[in-house]
Amino acid sequence: MTTAPEETPASDDIIVFKDVHKWFGSFHVLRGITTSVRRGEKVVIMGPSGSGKSTFIRAVNRLEEHQRGQIFVDGVEMTNDVRHIDAIRRDVGMVFQSFNLFPHLSVINNITLAPIKVRKLPRREAEQAARALLERVGIPEQAEKYPAELSGGQQQRVAIARALAMQPNVMLFDEPTSALDPEMIREVLDVMRELARSGMTMMIVTHEIGFAREAADRVIFMDEGTIVEEGPPKEFFINPKEERTKLFLHQILTH
Amino acid sequence: MAQTVNAPTLPPPPLSAGALGWARENLFGSRLSGALTLVSAAAIAVGLWFSLAWIFFSADWEVIVKLGGRFVIGQYNAETSCPGQNCFWRPQAGLLMATALLGVFWAITASVSVKRAAFAVALTSAAFAFLPYSLNEMGWDVRLLLLANVPALGAGWAIGRHTPLNTPSRAIIASVGAFLLTLLLLRGGFLGLEPVVVEKWGGLMLNILLALTGIVFSFPLGVGLALGRRSNLPVLKLLCVFFIEVMRGMPLITLLFMSQVLVPLAFPENFPLNSVTRAAIVIILFSAAYMAENVRGGLQSLHPGQAQASRALGLAAWQTTLFISLPQAIRNVIPALANQFIALFKDTSLVYIIAMLDIVQIGRAFIQGNTEYLLHARELFIFIAVVFWVFTYAMSYFSKRLETHLGVGQR
Repeated sequence: MTTAPEETPASDDIIVFKDVHKWFGSFHVLRGITTSVRRGEKVVIMGPSGSGKSTFIRAVNRLEEHQRGQIFVDGVEMTNDVRHIDAIRRDVGMVFQSFNLFPHLSVINNITLAPIKVRKLPRREAEQAARALLERVGIPEQAEKYPAELSGGQQQRVAIARALAMQPNVMLFDEPTSALDPEMIREVLDVMRELARSGMTMMIVTHEIGFAREAADRVIFMDEGTIVEEGPPKEFFINPKEERTKLFLHQILTH
Repeated sequence: MAQTVNAPTLPPPPLSAGALGWARENLFGSRLSGALTLVSAAAIAVGLWFSLAWIFFSADWEVIVKLGGRFVIGQYNAETSCPGQNCFWRPQAGLLMATALLGVFWAITASVSVKRAAFAVALTSAAFAFLPYSLNEMGWDVRLLLLANVPALGAGWAIGRHTPLNTPSRAIIASVGAFLLTLLLLRGGFLGLEPVVVEKWGGLMLNILLALTGIVFSFPLGVGLALGRRSNLPVLKLLCVFFIEVMRGMPLITLLFMSQVLVPLAFPENFPLNSVTRAAIVIILFSAAYMAENVRGGLQSLHPGQAQASRALGLAAWQTTLFISLPQAIRNVIPALANQFIALFKDTSLVYIIAMLDIVQIGRAFIQGNTEYLLHARELFIFIAVVFWVFTYAMSYFSKRLETHLGVGQR
């Protein structure tokens, strides 16, 4: 298989970025991002803090609005049209660094809220599906508890189950393990590995090199709002081309 | 040497050695603390001595007995308000409905605090039936209706348990219905019921009605204002800010005065709303402005990630507000809301400015009309203060229980 040329038909690419720019006030965060993600591809995004990697994946479901360029998700362009945005968000799951579970709802209600209110699923069906998902992420016994009663790793697994309950086509992970204690990182990564094997399209911002090596199809390295280098993990980690990539890898591998 | 076996699990050391140990540690821990303990104890002893002596020996509580049921309903059943004096059952019917609804909520929520409230209301009401009045002063009919609060509680519980009126939302709708029905009943003028003009409503009943109307209507209005103030629509935002700042910038008593004097001046021809309704509206608007700021504070305390997570799941903006932001915001500001509702309850006695006889003014009017009790006004007003305290303490207690129930600060 060769690397996809630029004129690949859109049907194969689930996410397409064309020269995307974004400013926070006068700060130029994204400086012309052009890339695409194929269906089923697992893309890991790395880069120093402030490089724009979070903004990049948050632009996919428009938690951050871009100001120039085009973003297509599943063939639909992200514009200010609320119907498009809501439709895309239904099909794009997101997992945050700080979990963002709803503290006033029990675990099961955290998971069933969106399927019931957005997908209009009957409560019984939604709860059955939620329990199956909790089984899948390995904490079926926590369904009736409240988020604050769970460990960080368990909370993040609930957050993954919550996103999966909407049966998304794409999952976005924004530093999913950065807020976790070392012994909890593993349990979350295990769930993500299982998800990767199931064929889900995934975009993951992370510093977990082991995970990137093993699960990613492609690694994107960002710095100062641009994509500096991208390629398969083997090439990227063993034989990086750009000086900035080498410096970054040197820093995180020898810290 | 290294430890080779697991260290045994030990029980924690005992915290204190009985009551004496506790006193030594907490009351006489140091010289200063010991001195303060002695001084405070002396002050409490002296205070208690004089209070108890006054309560049991000097005070003459007969004035309260003479005032009787008027402290609850004012002149509502007086000959001038209700010819024939047979309107007493209407406020009683309202009370019975309230008791029955408490029973319904008790059955639905199975909550200990609701159960306590229900029993407190039912048993206090029933206890009034046994007051040592002659039958001329308090007839069998009045006493029976008071006693009926106990079976009403049971009936309410059975309804909540065995009929379709078994979900909180239905019970809330029923409560609003019962409240409106009570207002209609009190007013009369239909089905041969003697009309009783609202200006004759009074006593504790008036305070409770005004407070309930204020709380029930200012809550949604305040939430709406808070959301409006945070809205992205500039005109709506400006209107909300303007309303809130104007309402907060004036004392309630000024607003009440304006509603009574200025509004009729501006609209001299048969202004459609009577003075009590106008007062109720003023209280609602005033309270809503404060409510809005409390709720806004709650909304601002939320982590932006909450709304982001909700939007990322595909929930629309209004769904995010309704299911994610508001429940958390309101939960976080329960202490402030309880504070405000307590203040609102006490503020209802400001309706004296529109010549209404609430519980305080009934007391004053009674003393003025029965000058032989002039020297015992103190007893009467202390009694009224205690009534206020019972209600405000109940509100404080239930807000605390609600906080615990919702896990405020815990999760």
